[in-house]
Amino acid sequence: MLSLLGGIFLGWSLGANDAANAFGSAVSSRMLKFWTAALLAAFFVLLGALLEGEAGIETLKGLTGLTLKAAVVASVAAAITVTLMTLLGLPVSTSQAMVGAILGIGFLNRFVDFTGLGKVVACWFGTPIGGMLTAIVVYKILAAAYNRLRIDLFTSDICIRISLIVAGSYAAYALGANNVANVTAVFVGAGRLNVFSATLIGGLSIGLGILTFSRPVMETVGRRLVPLDPFSALVVVLAEAVTVHFYTFVGVPVSTSQAVIGAVLGVGIVKGINTVNRRKLVNILIGWFITPAIACFIAVVLFFTIHLRYVPV
Amino acid sequence: MLNFLFRKEHQLEKLIYDYLENLGMIQNHFTKAMNLCLKEGVSDDFCFLMDQTHKFESVADEIREEINQLMYSKALIPESREDIMGLLEKVDEIPRSFEQILNMSRTQKLIFPDFLKLDIQELIRVSLESCDLMIKQIDVMLKKKEGIKTLLSTIDQNESHCDHIERRIIIKLFDSDLEPFLKLQLKEMVIVMGEISDQADRVSKRVNIINLKRRI
Repeated sequence: MLSLLGGIFLGWSLGANDAANAFGSAVSSRMLKFWTAALLAAFFVLLGALLEGEAGIETLKGLTGLTLKAAVVASVAAAITVTLMTLLGLPVSTSQAMVGAILGIGFLNRFVDFTGLGKVVACWFGTPIGGMLTAIVVYKILAAAYNRLRIDLFTSDICIRISLIVAGSYAAYALGANNVANVTAVFVGAGRLNVFSATLIGGLSIGLGILTFSRPVMETVGRRLVPLDPFSALVVVLAEAVTVHFYTFVGVPVSTSQAVIGAVLGVGIVKGINTVNRRKLVNILIGWFITPAIACFIAVVLFFTIHLRYVPV
Repeated sequence: MLNFLFRKEHQLEKLIYDYLENLGMIQNHFTKAMNLCLKEGVSDDFCFLMDQTHKFESVADEIREEINQLMYSKALIPESREDIMGLLEKVDEIPRSFEQILNMSRTQKLIFPDFLKLDIQELIRVSLESCDLMIKQIDVMLKKKEGIKTLLSTIDQNESHCDHIERRIIIKLFDSDLEPFLKLQLKEMVIVMGEISDQADRVSKRVNIINLKRRI
């Protein structure tokens, strides 16, 4: 159990940070109570992990061969990277941190599956683009349907509120299905867990993060979506969920935050406004390249350190 | 089926319509009071109608307070909350003008000279027509029906018509042989009367903006 602590910690921080992408706009704008959102998010994350978490786990565990010790190092390195990047205020992807850490150990072991790595990197670039394209399509479809429905203001508000809850639950489901691999895939690769236990433990640790520490993130980080009107916020959440769910089928864990940024850009394109400033975009780009590099470096240092032997002269 | 989940929204809808209906009642009593005042000056009947107007104005305040409390307890989505609260705040200026006019008539014991009565009647009629149209426009916006722009343009025309009448009255007033003090009293009253259609126009423009904002 002790060997799983690094993974559980990573899952906890993932849940605490990423639940805001699903319910942040609804909670920070007080459309939904925090506890309702947290319980829904935790439930759907676990459901997503159990039902569809396997594909991502298969991809990550295939990137390199890991011993249990290496798996622990990878998860700890990823967790340190996520914490470090959060402290630096840079957008961080748990998926990129985990892949970077796995690669670091893979390089030391001189075994990396470059076909799998190519697929993963392609998906990283595809995530914001996918989020953007999905947001454009979803916006057009929903707007056409909404304008056709001649419903009064009160019913319209009720519809938007229900839709935000449904979309948020779906986004939480997609988060669990897609990101559980980041938490426990390395332990499956190391033979410490089977797929079911991995999805269960991963889902539970993400859920724990949501229930115990996502409140400040949902109430503050979630506000970045609030300048968007409620309809656009709904489109962003839905587009993010669809994008992340799509990559679950592909079997590659991706960043929900990057999908959200892409979706926000997509809404901006449809509405002809600037939704993300240049500085934010630069930060995202820096985060993209730095996160896997730092995780890789930390994993190499940790792995090297724990293999140091004292040789008396 | 999900009605129990959105009890606050349904309650709010009812309160907003109660508020608008009450606004109609205030308007009715104000019209009757002003017609009486123009006909026979400040009388007991006028005072009764003025008290009734005040009573309905207080009811309007209570309903608005209830609406605000519901809003603060998170009925509707934030954007709609802000829009509705801002809108009702602006609408509420109108009954205040009604009360102010009646108060001025009573406390200053104003007597309208005959040569101004027709114009003042016309000013009140057009202003109240604007208020009726404004209430209709709010209903159209809430129910997401067609016709907001047509109503906006009619209210705008009424406002400009009221401005002409207001100017005409003031010119006639200062061309007359009335006492300077009475001239100033009447001028002040006419300006407050003109404010009704101005406020209806401001509300109408706001309704139009809210409607445009909600269009996707």
